[in-house]
Amino acid sequence: MTGSRLLFVDDEEGFLELYRAAFNRDGYTVDTAVGVDDARARLAAGGIDLVVLDIRLGESSGLALLREIKAADANLPVVLATAYARYQDDFSSWLADAYIVKSSDLGELKQAVARCLETAQ
Amino acid sequence: MTRGEGSAAWREGGWPRVRGRHLRERGPAPRTIRPRRVLDLLRHVSEVLETVVDPEVAGWSVLVAFTAGEGLGFNRAFLLLAEGDELRGWFGVGPRTRDEARKVWAEMRGADVLPLSQLHEPDHAAIEAEQRRHASMLTALSHVQLKGCNAWRRAFIGRANHPSACVRHWVGVLDSRELAVVPLMTSGRPWGVVLADNFVTHAPIHRATLEAAETLAHYLRAALERTQLLQRLHRERRRRIVAEHATALLETARTLAHDLKNPLALAGGLARELVAALPPEHETLVRQLGIVAGAIGRAEQRVGELVDGLASRAGGIALEPVDVGVLADRVVEAFRPLAVSRHVRLLCDHPARPVVAAAARPSLERCIENLMANALDALSGPGAEIHVVVREEPPWVRIEVADNGQPLPTALRADPFAGGVTTRRGGSGLGLTSVRTLAESMGGRVEYDEREAGWVRFTVVLRRWS
Repeated sequence: MTGSRLLFVDDEEGFLELYRAAFNRDGYTVDTAVGVDDARARLAAGGIDLVVLDIRLGESSGLALLREIKAADANLPVVLATAYARYQDDFSSWLADAYIVKSSDLGELKQAVARCLETAQ
Repeated sequence: MTRGEGSAAWREGGWPRVRGRHLRERGPAPRTIRPRRVLDLLRHVSEVLETVVDPEVAGWSVLVAFTAGEGLGFNRAFLLLAEGDELRGWFGVGPRTRDEARKVWAEMRGADVLPLSQLHEPDHAAIEAEQRRHASMLTALSHVQLKGCNAWRRAFIGRANHPSACVRHWVGVLDSRELAVVPLMTSGRPWGVVLADNFVTHAPIHRATLEAAETLAHYLRAALERTQLLQRLHRERRRRIVAEHATALLETARTLAHDLKNPLALAGGLARELVAALPPEHETLVRQLGIVAGAIGRAEQRVGELVDGLASRAGGIALEPVDVGVLADRVVEAFRPLAVSRHVRLLCDHPARPVVAAAARPSLERCIENLMANALDALSGPGAEIHVVVREEPPWVRIEVADNGQPLPTALRADPFAGGVTTRRGGSGLGLTSVRTLAESMGGRVEYDEREAGWVRFTVVLRRWS
């Protein structure tokens, strides 16, 4: 849903640049966080409509952050985006509203974001 | 020296070992063996066998003691081992023919080498050569154990008219007048037999010699059991190392896949964005192109590392049909003493028919061991139980290890296989991680559940062999 504020959490600046370019162009407001601490601070500030979260965040686990987010606000949609398809079978990832394997084609991620925002409405 | 001057033969030595052959220097064996000399011989052989790690060397050492002049003084000796229903010729020491014996003995008469003194430093190449030299005779001696051929308890002298078909066969093959037949028994079952004779000198075989031969055979059986066990242990260790290498390779491949996927997705994604809409600012365009170039460079570097890494690794994990019920029984039995000491009841259930999974035996064994150890660590107090259950759910085979111990700690429940969480259950936190890695390396998976109240269950799921 364009106009929504999205928070992208990834430990790689390049992906954050990609997400900014792609989702800004689609009319979203894009916030980015380069790690868990940065993400916590941004979430605490409020106003986020959806989080796109990488699982491997350097030494930290995106799954742990996912549990934190859901514990604080079960209604805040979270999309997991990772290079690891195997985490799909990991039941701790089932808390997420969508699970996307990273790809150069952002179509699937964009669809998941739109769908989750619509569901959350 | 003539027969009857036996004590001199012992004193002066018999079969010097030169260039891998054991040569009788003096000819006839002594009429009787003095008890003191027997004790010295037994002590010497016993000391030698304590350090032997190779079954061939153990067999060779004892047969040399049978044939050495300062040993039992036989002209030649052969070792046959039970394999299924057959007693198969395995090792031989001594000359093959009378002509060979006379020639070699004549050549070696002056050599100042005592064969028993060589036992501490066995020449493996010479031992192999000796085994090859007797190959045809050993094949001829091999014989199916017929009725009466496996009921011997004590050593005896066999002749051509012996009631046992085996003995008549051996006497015939060896053309022996008198053949010492020394059984190797274990737990009342035949394990093998040593045959020895004096086919050149025709020296009689005395009771005392047979008794000493029995003791040597007892030493030999123990040494063979121990060395074969050691070999099996080494083989298992090697298989484990291969399995661990395969696991490490899988982990490397996973990491590399991630390292490749990430930059490729990034480079491709940004390139698509640039195609869709060029950023108005030159600075942004340059930055994004820089990211693309950097990502491609990273991917290229990782591919190079992957090629180098694969080139330096040999072998992979090979799946084979594994009867999971049999394997589970074996692991459970291995844990039983520990479980009994902790008052834990162990149960293992599986279908009577073979349940065969596609697995790497050492890896699957390691999985079950880790899960059993994890379960044992979680148990205490009366009523503690571990249930190992093997089920077939085509196309899968499920191996469940369930215990009624303490539940999984909260820290582990989110991801019991993630590793790094140290609790009493789970030890270093790496055991369960290792189970998952091993299960996945075999094309399977591992599951965890606490569906049944009071029970924690881990299940290794593997493909059924087809």
